[in-house]
Amino acid sequence: MATYYAPNGLHNEFWTMSAFGGQYEDHGKAYILLLLSDSNLPTGSFVASAGLESYVTHGFFSSTQSPPRDKMDATIDFLQDSLRSYAHSALPFVTDAHMSARKLLSTHEDMSGSSGVIDLDDLYESMTLNHVSRRASKSQGVALLTLYSKGFSRPSTRRQRHLRHEAVDSELLQEDRAGAFVDELKLLIRQDKTHGHLPVCWGVLTACLGLSLERSQFLHLFLHARSLLSASVRLNTIGPYAAQQLLLHAVKPLVEFESRRCQHLHTELGGDNSGDRVDEVTHGPAVTWPLGEILAARHDLQHSRIFNS
Amino acid sequence: MEAGSGRIVLRKHGTEAAFSELSYVYPLKLLSPRLSPENASAVYVVSYGGGLVGGDRIQLSVVVDEGAALVILTQGSTKVFKNRSGGRLSSRSQGTPADAITTQVLDVSIARGGAVFLLPDPVTCFRSAAYNQIQVFRLHSSASLVLLDWVTSGRKSIGEDWAFSRYYSKNEVWVENRQLAKDIMLLEEQQPLPSLPPRTLAESLAPYSCYATLIMCGPLVQNTLSSLSADFGRLTVFKQASPHELLWSFSAIGDGAGCVVRVAGTETELVRNWLGEKLVALEGIMGPDLYRRAFG
Repeated sequence: MATYYAPNGLHNEFWTMSAFGGQYEDHGKAYILLLLSDSNLPTGSFVASAGLESYVTHGFFSSTQSPPRDKMDATIDFLQDSLRSYAHSALPFVTDAHMSARKLLSTHEDMSGSSGVIDLDDLYESMTLNHVSRRASKSQGVALLTLYSKGFSRPSTRRQRHLRHEAVDSELLQEDRAGAFVDELKLLIRQDKTHGHLPVCWGVLTACLGLSLERSQFLHLFLHARSLLSASVRLNTIGPYAAQQLLLHAVKPLVEFESRRCQHLHTELGGDNSGDRVDEVTHGPAVTWPLGEILAARHDLQHSRIFNS
Repeated sequence: MEAGSGRIVLRKHGTEAAFSELSYVYPLKLLSPRLSPENASAVYVVSYGGGLVGGDRIQLSVVVDEGAALVILTQGSTKVFKNRSGGRLSSRSQGTPADAITTQVLDVSIARGGAVFLLPDPVTCFRSAAYNQIQVFRLHSSASLVLLDWVTSGRKSIGEDWAFSRYYSKNEVWVENRQLAKDIMLLEEQQPLPSLPPRTLAESLAPYSCYATLIMCGPLVQNTLSSLSADFGRLTVFKQASPHELLWSFSAIGDGAGCVVRVAGTETELVRNWLGEKLVALEGIMGPDLYRRAFG
């Protein structure tokens, strides 16, 4: 918990611990990170290209220009524009959802306190003004909650139930609370009372798993970028080795920079715990790439397509 | 009243709508043109000298009463000049003192059956200019709104191409207590990263030099909304060799109560003509003169 608000060293912390260099409880957190960054995780991200497919179809990757545009360059350009806008518009929601869920899990009040998370979810809905991104965000968000309740909860074998009965430690209690919280959110989504948007659900999931805010923010942007690169491999714009190259040499500095630049942004509902209202004009969410919005919203118009967004 | 502030109150008495208040303080100026009776009421929002200088703050509040319809226009694009304190505006705009940034604040409330058509010319930010625009619309559930918010890449004639330092635009639309849309766009030059090829704002937005956002809702625009939706649904995109000169998108919001349309064009006039064509059904609501003034 000591590193929760570490003012700097975020990236060192992230990398050293994921390399298993550490000792203490970080082993457990590193293990969670490995699980979350597994590309086979059933989150539905493999059907999302976040506008890349539409970008390619609309001629922005064009190789008919003279001189022909290098596909690696075009991919890096899209990555930069897309990730920057996504970081600026979605990361504040990850941050505030994480803080809100964390607060909820650490108190002993009943779970009706999920309203903070629901308000964030509503706000994300009214700020995500293109139907394709909204649709993709909802399906991935709901998948994350399902992943938590089905994939990260303790298996309830008879022996486990017995053990559980014996040892009522605080970690187990925390897990129970997290499980109940996620179940309540899923119920509200099923009843159409909230949306289940990806950044909000990601914040909730990572808070429930006990990941620090910085790791949650960093990993979210990393996964967004990696999913874009997987999409470009499937679209055959770049090969798998090139994607790996970009992941290491282009995505790393980009994700590091953007997570640092956007880590202190909040929504109008959040705050930095000082009780002051956030100045939305300087520290609030914003879309920074209007072209990306138009292209994403035109996704369904493509005559042939392999992705859902 | 503070410098740059203004207030418009439009009320309907019988069949006649009249301004019960139309007040403004330098550098803001409000003009109400005389129009033939088939037109709605209109106000031009004008700034002295035809533009806003660094640090100017315009704060306009608009109240449209039951059943009244108001068209808000400008005379030519809103030009935002470079900040007075040029040196202070480095690439890190978060360090810019808030009072140095040219700001326009618009607060609109529309009562039962009322309507507002905000159809300004685009904002043009000159090199190194910084601009904030904050617009909040509060509507009765039976009120209608057409909100056009657009920006150009600068003075093309002297080679400006997205060369301003910061453009921030926020539009909040509330219908009763529900937030229908909150649109926030921030355009600013990105800091280059050492290990990546540099990517300028102009490159990110190329080949377009004008971006428009149109938010509409309410009973008076239902026809326009459904025809736009149908037009959009009919489009099919085959793999293109190069980008089109105009690109647009349509998304329904609030379970179909409204929509967000975004348009990008290589020329401002392309976007203006497109808007005029797609919004032609508004002619019957605003009146022919006002329609022509807005899109002509």
